[in-house]
Amino acid sequence: MNAPGTLLLRGSTLAACLLWWCAAPSQAAPSQAAPSQAAPSQAAPSQAAPSQAAPSAAGVARVSRDLVVLYDFGDCSGDIVRDRAGVGTPIDLKIEDLGMVQRRPGTLEVRGSTLISSLHPARHLTQKIKRSNAVTIEAWVQPSREKQSGPARIVTLSKDSTNRNFTLGQDGNKVDVRLRSLETSSNGLPSLAAQAGSFNTQLTHLIYTRDREGQARIWLNGKISASRKMTGRLSNWHRAMRLALGNEINKSRPWLGTYHLVAVYHRALSEKEVQQNYAAGAGATAPPLAVGKAQDPRETYFELEVAPIFANQCLECHDTFSRKGGLDLSKKMTASTGGDTGRAFIPGNAKDSLLWQLIEQDVMPHKRSPLSQRDKRVIEKWLNDGGVWTLQRLDPAVYVHGGRPDVNWLRRLTTFEYIETVRSLFGIDVTKEARALLPQEVRADGFSNTAYNLNVELKHIEAYQRLAGIIVQRVDIDAFRSRFKKRVTFTDKEMGDLIKKMGQTILRGPLENREVIAYRGIATTLAATEDSSIREATSAIIEAMLQSPRFLYRIERQQGDESVQPVDDFELAARMSYMIWGGPPDAKLFQAASRGELYDEVSILREADRMLQDGRAVIQAERFFVDWLHLSRLDYLQPSPEKFPHWNPRLADDMQRETIAFVREVIWRQNRPLSDLLNAQVTFVTPRLAAHYGLPLRSSDEVQNAEKLARYDLSNVQSRGGLLTQGSLLTVGGDEASMVTRGLLVMHELLRGVVKDPPPCVDTTPVPSKPGLSQRGIAEIRIANKTCAGCHARFEPLAYGLEKFDGVGGYHEKDEHGNALREDGQILFPGDAKTTVYHSTHQLMDVLARSERVQESMTWKLTQFALGRPLTAADAGALQEIHAKAQRRGGTYKATIGAIVSSELVTLIMTGEEQ
Amino acid sequence: MPAPRLARRTFLKGLGGVTVGLPLLEEMLPGPTLAAPASAAVPVRAFNVFFGLGIPAPLQAEGLSGVLEPLQPLSDKLLLMRNVDHIRADANGINAHFDGATAAFTAEAPNGEAKAGGPSIDQVVRQAWHPDGLPTGMVPTLVSGTFFRRSRVGRFVHSYNANGTVAAAMQERPRDVFDRVFGVVAFDGVKNARQLRIKRSVLDSVLSEYRYFTGARSPLGIASRARITDHLERIREFEQRAFTLKDTPREGAPGPTRPRPSKLQHGGAADPGGQGIDIQLDDLVAEWRLMADLYALSIEMDRVRFGSITFLAAGERLRVKGAYEYAGRSIYSFDDARDLNASGDMGCSHEWWHKFSPGKQNEQLRAHAHMKMREVAYLLHKLDQIQDANGRSVLENSLLTVSTESGDGRHNDSKRELSGVFHAITSAQGRFKTGQIMDIGQEGLDVYNTMLAAMGCQRRLGPVDREPTLVDQILW
Repeated sequence: MNAPGTLLLRGSTLAACLLWWCAAPSQAAPSQAAPSQAAPSQAAPSQAAPSQAAPSAAGVARVSRDLVVLYDFGDCSGDIVRDRAGVGTPIDLKIEDLGMVQRRPGTLEVRGSTLISSLHPARHLTQKIKRSNAVTIEAWVQPSREKQSGPARIVTLSKDSTNRNFTLGQDGNKVDVRLRSLETSSNGLPSLAAQAGSFNTQLTHLIYTRDREGQARIWLNGKISASRKMTGRLSNWHRAMRLALGNEINKSRPWLGTYHLVAVYHRALSEKEVQQNYAAGAGATAPPLAVGKAQDPRETYFELEVAPIFANQCLECHDTFSRKGGLDLSKKMTASTGGDTGRAFIPGNAKDSLLWQLIEQDVMPHKRSPLSQRDKRVIEKWLNDGGVWTLQRLDPAVYVHGGRPDVNWLRRLTTFEYIETVRSLFGIDVTKEARALLPQEVRADGFSNTAYNLNVELKHIEAYQRLAGIIVQRVDIDAFRSRFKKRVTFTDKEMGDLIKKMGQTILRGPLENREVIAYRGIATTLAATEDSSIREATSAIIEAMLQSPRFLYRIERQQGDESVQPVDDFELAARMSYMIWGGPPDAKLFQAASRGELYDEVSILREADRMLQDGRAVIQAERFFVDWLHLSRLDYLQPSPEKFPHWNPRLADDMQRETIAFVREVIWRQNRPLSDLLNAQVTFVTPRLAAHYGLPLRSSDEVQNAEKLARYDLSNVQSRGGLLTQGSLLTVGGDEASMVTRGLLVMHELLRGVVKDPPPCVDTTPVPSKPGLSQRGIAEIRIANKTCAGCHARFEPLAYGLEKFDGVGGYHEKDEHGNALREDGQILFPGDAKTTVYHSTHQLMDVLARSERVQESMTWKLTQFALGRPLTAADAGALQEIHAKAQRRGGTYKATIGAIVSSELVTLIMTGEEQ
Repeated sequence: MPAPRLARRTFLKGLGGVTVGLPLLEEMLPGPTLAAPASAAVPVRAFNVFFGLGIPAPLQAEGLSGVLEPLQPLSDKLLLMRNVDHIRADANGINAHFDGATAAFTAEAPNGEAKAGGPSIDQVVRQAWHPDGLPTGMVPTLVSGTFFRRSRVGRFVHSYNANGTVAAAMQERPRDVFDRVFGVVAFDGVKNARQLRIKRSVLDSVLSEYRYFTGARSPLGIASRARITDHLERIREFEQRAFTLKDTPREGAPGPTRPRPSKLQHGGAADPGGQGIDIQLDDLVAEWRLMADLYALSIEMDRVRFGSITFLAAGERLRVKGAYEYAGRSIYSFDDARDLNASGDMGCSHEWWHKFSPGKQNEQLRAHAHMKMREVAYLLHKLDQIQDANGRSVLENSLLTVSTESGDGRHNDSKRELSGVFHAITSAQGRFKTGQIMDIGQEGLDVYNTMLAAMGCQRRLGPVDREPTLVDQILW
C-alpha cells in the first residue's frame, strides 16, 4: 500500500496536506484501527459494516483485473484528480472551481456546485466497456445530505442531462443508476434504483455491476440492494462522453459529499470480488503506478527498421554460415566484432564506418541491387544515433512479411467455412452446390485462406443469393424456427423476438435493434402480401441473413484507440470455432461467450480441449495439411508420358489420400507430436500405389479392392517413412525430380529458410543428368561454384536424401543413365555455422523430426493458417510463447491449436483509430 | 494533337528544369476538372496491357525492326519508352518474374503474393474520375487474360486497388469475360411479381446491412470497410442486372453472342505444379484474339472503362508447337520441347529467356517475343477501329499502358533485375507524345506519376517522402 504522504512534496498546498495528514490521521483518513476492526474480513465480508472513518483493511488487496479508471484522491494538490489505474492514457479530471471543494489526502469533498470532469471524451473507457458489454462502477462516498435530487451525479459518463453512457447518482435517499444500451434510451432510462432509504449520510460502498448477459445489480456495502435483467447490448455507447464527478457535464445536477474512491472496470465484478473491494476499504489506495523503464526509441528503431534491412539485404552473404569477409551480421556478438578488415561499424559515426561506406558506394550488397535511398538513410541514421543493437540473433524468416501486420482484414468465409457453417446451423450439406457456384479461392502466401486475398466478385453475390435460396428450400423451416420460438405471428413483437433468437445463432452473436428492424421489414412485406405465411416469412428472413455481412464475414470491432484490446466474447468464440472447426460456435461455446467465461487461458483451453474432441476438428486439421502441402496440386499432375509411360493418373489421387490418412493416423489416432509426421513408420496405400512404391501386396482381398487404403507398417522398409517420402510431396520436383525444387520445399516449409533468386547474369537453365553425371553430381558441381554455393549449399543438400525417388515418387537405386543414386547428405539449419551430416533417407527424416527448427516451423505454419494472414516480425514474440506452450503440452496438433487460440494473437486485436 | 494539354509550358516557365518538389508538381498538374476531355462524350479510360517474359533491353534497342515489328503499323499512336527502371521493385528478390510483374503498372515491390505495393495506374485514374463509383450498368474494373502459370496472383493480375489487393477477379475464359460484362443474373425460382417483390425485400435488407458496415457507425477498420464497400458495389451491380438489364444480349440473341467454351486448359489444370503444358500456337492465338475481341467490344459498348488484360503470366511455362508467320513470311516453327530437348518445365519457352545472351542470335526468344507483340498489336488495332464521339479512336483517346516483367533487364545492368523494362503508352487524348521511341532513363515510378498527373489524378504512387521527378519529355 502506498503511503499518501510520500506521494508528492511539491508546493505549499501539498506541504499543508502532508502536515494535516501527519497531525490528524484519525479524522478522515483511514484509521489504524479501521482495516481490521471495522471493515469486514474477507471470510465474512457482509457481517460488519465499515466504520464511518473510512476503513482500509491492511492486507486485503483490491481487485485490479480489468480496471479502467481509478481515483483514490491520494494526491490533494492543485485542480487535477489523477487517474491512477495505469491503463492507457490516464483519464485525469479537472476541478473547475477549487473553491467548492476541500482536498485532503485520500478524500475529495464537494461542498458546492462545481464540475470535476475529464477535459476530453473518455474514449478508452467507453471503448473497453462497449467491447466487453459489461461494466462495474464503484464508489466509496459519503453524501453531505440525506436527500439530493436529479439524480445528483456521483459518477457520470455523459454529454449533458439527457445523453449518457452511464450515471451513478443519488435520487432522494436512494442510489439510482442509468445505463445506456440498445434496450434503454440515450438517457439510460429506465434506470435501476436501490431501495428507498438505503442511502444516507454514512460512508457507503456503492457498486453497480452489469454483466455480459445483461444482469444488472446495485450493491450497497457488499450486499445486493437491487437487481434486474437489462439485456440490451452496449454497442450504442457514444464515444464523445466525458467522465465527471459531482455534477452533470452541463453542471445541472450537482451532488454534494465526500469521495474516498471511485473506480470503473470493464467487466462485472463477481460477488466475491465486490466483497473483496468492500473489505479492502475506502482508504485503499492504488499501488504506485508501474513506471517501467521507457524503451529507448533507438531500440525500437533497430528492431523495426534496421534489422529487416540486414535480414533481407545482408545475411545472404554475412550470416553464420557464409561469413563472407569473415563478417557475421546475424548475431549481435559477431556483428560488433566485425570481419577480416576489422570493425564493420563505429557506433555514433556512420562516416567512418566501413559498413556505411560500402553501402553508400553501392559496393554492398555485392552483386545485388543497391539499397534504396530510404534504406540507406535508415542505416546512416542508425549508425549516427549510436548503432544500438538489441537482438541477439537476426532470423531472416521473421522479416519476410515485414515488421507488423499492415492492417486488420476482416475474413470472408472461405468455401469450406461456408459449407461447414451451413452444415452446423441447418444440418444440410451444400458442398456440391457451393463448390459449383462459388469462385475457387486463390492461394496467396502459402494458403488459400489469406484474408486480404478473400475478395468478392459478382459471381460471389450471385452464388450467395442462389445458395441462400437452395438452403431455405432444403431446410425444414418450421422445425428450424421452432428451435427458437414455437409460436409466431406477424406482430412486430413476436417476429422481432424470433429474429433476435434465430439471428443470434445464424449471425454468431446478439443482434442490435437496427438489425431486428431491418429483418422485420421482410416480415412486414410478407404480411402485406397475399397468401403469405410465417414459414415463407421465416424463409425470406433466413435468406437475407445468409447474405448479410455478419454471416459471410467474421465481423469484429476493429476500431478503437490504436491500442491492443481484447476481442469481445462472441468474437473470440467465433475465432476459436473457425480455427478449430472451420465452422461457427456450437451452443456450448456460444453459452460460454454469453456468460463471459472465455476470459483467461484456463477457460479458453478448457473449451478448446472440448472442441478438439469433435470430428469437425479432424476435418479442419486435414484442411490445414491439404492447404499447407498444396495437395490439390496433385489433381493436375501431368508427368511426361515419354518419361513415365506407366504412370496411372489415379495414382495422384491415391497419393493425396495416402497423405491425408497418414496425417489422421499420426496426429489424431496416435496423438503424436507434429514433427513425428516427418519420420512416422506407417503409411496407407492402395494396391496401385503399393505397387508403384514397390511395397509388397499382402492379400488377395487388397488386390481386389483397388481403391481401398491399407495400413502399412514401415518399420522394416528403409526407403520410406514420413511425409517427405510420400508421392504427394516427392512429385513437387517435377519430371526431373529437381533437387533445387525439393530442397527449396524442405527449406521453405520445414526450416523457414530464406534465399533470394539467383543474381543477374546467371543462366538458371536446369542441367540434365547424363551417363556419369547424376542430379546429385550436378548439384555438387553447382555447390562447388563459389557464385552458386552461397545459396545452393543451404538447400540442395536437403534433397540429397531423396535422390533415389524419381519425379513421380518411384524408388530406384540407379537413374535412367545407370548412375548409382545416393541418399547421404547434410543439413544446414538456419542460423547454424555447421552442417549436420546424415547417411540415409531414414536418418534425414529422423534429424528433421528432432529439429527444434522444424517443430517451430510447423507451429508457424499452423498459426498462419489459423490467423489467415502472413506472420510478421511483430508476431515473433507471441509465436515463441505459443511454440513453448505447445511443446510443454507434447507438441501435438491439439496442443499447438490450444496454444494458438489461447494466445494473444487470438484473444487480442490491434485496434485502429475510430473513423 | 489538340489537347486537353497539360499546362506544362505555363507552369514550367522560368523553372529551368524538370525536377521539381512535390507541392509544386501537385500544383502544376490539373485535377480532373482541368484535365477533362475536350468532348464530354469521350469518357476517360485507362487499361493496363501485360505480356509475360518481357523483351530484353538489347532487343528493344533494335527499335521497330526487330521483335517490335508488329507495333510498326501503330507506331504513330504509341510512345515506346526504353530505359525505364523499376529500381525499388526488385529489392525483395522473392522472384524476378513475380517482382517484375507486380511492379508493372504500380512501380512498387509486391506486398504479398497476391498484393501489390500500391495501386495500379488504371485504378488511380478510376478513383480520380469516379470516386463515387462508375455510372450504372458498368463493370467497375475488368481484369481478364490468358495465362497458365498461377503460382502467385501477382504473375497474372494487373489491376490493383489503393490498398494493393486485386481490383477485380480474373476472367480467364472468353465466356467468363462475356458473362462478367454482358451476363444477366436472375433470381432462382422467381416466377411471378409476388415472388420478385419478396426477393426485392430480402435484397433491400441485405443492402441496408452492407450500408451500415460501410457507414459512419461501422466498427470496421479502413481495409475491412473497403472490402465491404466492394461487396456492396457488387450487390448493387447484381441488383442492376437482376432488375434492369433484362435486355442484355444472350446466347442466340442479336448482338454479341456468348462464346463457345474455351479449348484451352484453365484453372489448376493449366498449371500442373509449375511443370508447364503443351499448347498449339493456333489454339493459343485463337483464344487470345477472342479475348481481345471481347475486351474491345466491352469498351465499345461502354460497359468497361478501366482494367487490364494479360497475355501470358510472368515467368510463363508453355511448350509451344506450331508454325508462326507474320506478314506472309515464316518467322519460326515452334517446338520448344524439341528445341530444348527436354520435358516438363525444362522444355518450356521460358528457358529461352534464361539462355538469352546479347552476343547470340536468340532465335527462339525473338520468335516468341515477336509473336506476342503481334497479339498485343491485334488488341491495339481493334481499339483503333472503334471511333469515339470526337472522331478519334478509342486507342487514341484512352490511356493504354503496355508493359511486362523484368524483360531480362539483368543484361542491361548486372546489378539490377528490373532495369530497361519495356513500356509503351498511347496519347490519352493528346496528353502524351506518340510516334516516337524515347530513351527515358528514369524510374518507372516517375514515369507513372507523370502519367497520372497528366490524367488529372492527385494521388501519387510510391513513398510519400520521395521527391518526384516530372518526366517532362513524354508530355505534349
